Amino acid sequence: MPLNQALHLTSMLLASASFIGLTLGAGLPEWLAALTGATLIAVLLRNIGVKSVEQFATQMPVSTIGWNLIVLGGFLGFWIDLLWVSGELLPAGLHFLMVLMVIKLFNLRLRRDYLHLYAISLVAILASGSLTTDLWFVPIFSVYLLAGVWTLLLFQLTKSSEVGGNVGVALSMRQESHEGHDRVSPRLFWTANGLALGAFLITVVIFFTIPRVSAGIYQKGFGENLRTSGFSDTVNLGAIGSIKRDPSVVMRVELPKSPRHDARPLYIRGVSFDRYDGKVWTNQLSYRRSLIEESSGTFAFRRKRVASGVELGEAIQQKILLEPLDTPVLFAAPFIERVSGAFPSLFFDGTGAVYLPFPSSSRIEYTVLSRSNTLVPADLGPEPGPYPEWVLRQYLQLSFQSDRINTLAGEVTQRQRNPYEKAAAIQTHLTRNYRYSLDAPLAAQDQPLEEFLFSRKTGYCEHYATAMVIMLRTLGIPARLVTGFLATEWNDYGNYYVVRQQDAHAWVEVYLPHSGWIGMDPTPTEDNPGAGGPVWRVLAPLVDNIKLQWNRLFVQYSAADQLAVVRELKAEGVSVRNKALDSMTALFGTFMAVLSGILTPDMSQVRIGLLGEVIGFAMMSLVVLFWLARKRPWVTWRFWRKACSNELVIAHLYRRMRTYLAGQGLSRSAAIAPLELVKITQARWREAHAAVASITELYCRTRFGHIPLTQKDMKHAEDQLRGLLELRRPSQ
Amino acid sequence: MTSTETIRAIQENIARVIKGKPHVIEMSLVALLARGHLLLEDVPGVGKTTLAHSLARSLDCSFKRIQFTSDLLPSDIVGVSIFNRQKQAFEFIPGPIFANIVLADEINRTTPKTQSSLLEAMSEAQISFDNKTYPLSPPFMVIATQNPAEYHGTFPLPESQLDRFLMRLRIGYPAPEEEKKVLERPSSLHPAEELLPLLTAQEVVQLQEQVDKVLMEESLTEYLLAIVQSTRHSDLLSLGVSTRGALALSRAAKALALVRGRTYCLPDDIKELAPIVLSHRIMVARQTSLHPRSFEQAERVIRDVVDTIPVPV
Repeated sequence: MPLNQALHLTSMLLASASFIGLTLGAGLPEWLAALTGATLIAVLLRNIGVKSVEQFATQMPVSTIGWNLIVLGGFLGFWIDLLWVSGELLPAGLHFLMVLMVIKLFNLRLRRDYLHLYAISLVAILASGSLTTDLWFVPIFSVYLLAGVWTLLLFQLTKSSEVGGNVGVALSMRQESHEGHDRVSPRLFWTANGLALGAFLITVVIFFTIPRVSAGIYQKGFGENLRTSGFSDTVNLGAIGSIKRDPSVVMRVELPKSPRHDARPLYIRGVSFDRYDGKVWTNQLSYRRSLIEESSGTFAFRRKRVASGVELGEAIQQKILLEPLDTPVLFAAPFIERVSGAFPSLFFDGTGAVYLPFPSSSRIEYTVLSRSNTLVPADLGPEPGPYPEWVLRQYLQLSFQSDRINTLAGEVTQRQRNPYEKAAAIQTHLTRNYRYSLDAPLAAQDQPLEEFLFSRKTGYCEHYATAMVIMLRTLGIPARLVTGFLATEWNDYGNYYVVRQQDAHAWVEVYLPHSGWIGMDPTPTEDNPGAGGPVWRVLAPLVDNIKLQWNRLFVQYSAADQLAVVRELKAEGVSVRNKALDSMTALFGTFMAVLSGILTPDMSQVRIGLLGEVIGFAMMSLVVLFWLARKRPWVTWRFWRKACSNELVIAHLYRRMRTYLAGQGLSRSAAIAPLELVKITQARWREAHAAVASITELYCRTRFGHIPLTQKDMKHAEDQLRGLLELRRPSQ
Repeated sequence: MTSTETIRAIQENIARVIKGKPHVIEMSLVALLARGHLLLEDVPGVGKTTLAHSLARSLDCSFKRIQFTSDLLPSDIVGVSIFNRQKQAFEFIPGPIFANIVLADEINRTTPKTQSSLLEAMSEAQISFDNKTYPLSPPFMVIATQNPAEYHGTFPLPESQLDRFLMRLRIGYPAPEEEKKVLERPSSLHPAEELLPLLTAQEVVQLQEQVDKVLMEESLTEYLLAIVQSTRHSDLLSLGVSTRGALALSRAAKALALVRGRTYCLPDDIKELAPIVLSHRIMVARQTSLHPRSFEQAERVIRDVVDTIPVPV
């Protein structure tokens, strides 16, 4: 079989496979399916050599202009379909796709037409693949793949055989060829099929062996989560210090609802502790209960209402990407109201901490709505209200006595009246008089707290926070220690916080009768110059952002995301349609209303909106026409041949020619005069000379001689340019 | 015969005498049709005089030749007044300038005074003598030659006078095979004498009028002006092209379009003519060249300047 005929055949097969796939998957309307099917059969018959079909095809009454009009008509139909018939983007688009395919099938002349057909087939098969999960898709897709391999192979083969011979542009279908290498021999046939099958098998093997998980399974140290400290039920004083020098990223926090970032550090709460025995903090309320699942994947936290009249603070929405950690704690800004994510279940304990069922071995992403308590003015008055009994029971425990601490607490707060002021005084005292240092020894002393407060006077967050809690408790004010992270590193590129191990932090929550738990931080800010040189300091956020996006768009991409995209597209389609209708009616409705005032009142009743829509639609089509004209000069003049002077069109064609010649390595200089360019072409690219000379001649005649061109001239120029654009200059 | 055919016939006619120089012949016709004068600058013996002679013979026009020498006087060109005893009055005897085509051979050999008497006739197409004005009958064209190799005893034309020539041409040596044809020609007769006239003076004037009707599109005028402007601002030149030079280029371009059978100018016309129409009107800056008045140098500079101007598309 000659190569050209084989190419034509496989192209038909490709188109047929995608057409059948789309018909079965999308349920095309019967008339469209019948039309496309009939066209495919007709073109196939023509290829096999049925005389009558061939005769009909050659005598087809539609000219190129006619075809362009039909394409435009199809496009018009697409809009009508979208706006009034099917009313949705996807079906309307698919119908239009099929119309395009039919038109292309009738017009398979140049290699470019074949490429268009392949593109249409690809979109069609992709669409049908996404529309169905049925088994019939498998054989159709296999046929498509095989035909695709064959088509690409033959397309390349015919191309190289053409370059070798005369530079022919059109693919003549039934070109007789007697040379052996221009035919599809049985050997080539079986080799190509074997290769295609081999590629398919390898793909299948890869498909089943390479696991699709969101962690690099072969990556070094797989399965080892980041080691944290400070988030278990018992924590030694000073434990956090061990990770304060580790720059590994623990999580990234986006604030989707508050896009403007004011560089305020964000406290990210982990767990809290109520009991301190002098060395070790314990969480006695660690009994975990299930969170109530509101809807699938969304869990609500029913907070203990402190008292009526408690004012709730500003809500913070966070989107957190948590690295695999060795703790099941779910971190978020205080205090969690609602969590959504792909969790089977969540738990909470008595201190307000939320836990996963077990530590995750992969990155997890979740969204949290948090709301902190605000300070109520009643708590600033001289007489604090009564504390609830459960608070007093749990958060005033002092398992050891230290007179020095008692004295110090009393001294610091002797002038303050209410609990809040006292707490603030202690906070100020600690911040002012103690120095931040990570060099504090790891709880080696018997009394690490006294050591910190009275002799060493340097320490880090845990020491500060512990000291403040204990001092508050000696004064009878309920308080607890909280561990978590203090996010300060803001990434400008992706608008999120980067939280690292070294951001681990401990602070204090004080209970006030009216306000509830209020967070306070007695730790002075440390000077942290950040790592790396100046260049890295600029680049690091960028790199980190790319990492995040990669994870979000590729690693974590799941069926749920896919569905979300489809849903969004669908919604977008509907909204686009509605918006288009609305704006049309709005735009032209007023105009029509004015017009109707002039017309008789009866006539104005006749669907003003509809008229407006029709006018709007016409305007849109015009815009599309303009756009088409920019891309394809010859489309232009066909539609504007009456309206637009030939001079403009030929100038356009000429410019297009010059650009193309420049692209092919002939003179780029703007100082080259027209006839000079013809001479250069003659000397350096003989094949193109005839076309360039005739286009230049026509162009010069109109442009500089103001001699009008006939339509025949224009047609000639267009044909010449089209022929020229198919030529490729052999590289020197 | 249409004008295009006529012009082609003349070119072929002259080509029978001047072998292998179609470009020079074409350009001399351009100069004729643009009502311009031609300066041929080349070494002796390459056919300067023969070209002028053939051109004149191809047209049914009067032809006079003046050999310029250092003792030539203005009256030898313009004519003299002689007292006529019978009429009892002075009578003007016209000089050799009263012809359609005048060959001024070795124009730089004569004194400036004599040169300027010729140059007045060139620009005004008339002769003033004894308070009387004698118009020269059209077509009037001066073909001057000068020898660039010899400078002894010459009076180089100043720029102001060079400006009056439409173009300056070189003929150059012919290719060997063309030269062979010249040598093989029977030497009994001057080759130009064989030529038959193809056009009357009246027809030449008509052709010249046709040149005025050739269309120069507005963008081409702008293109031409851009070229002229950039010679004035170029660092390579110490003297740019005058307005007369711009006018000359425009006319020459129109004439070239007509010679090539077009009724409109192309950018190519302007671009091709610029070196020969403009190069004798400029002065190359001293720092650019050791020989500021050298022909090749000036042409190269003009070509470089033109190559920087974008062509209208």
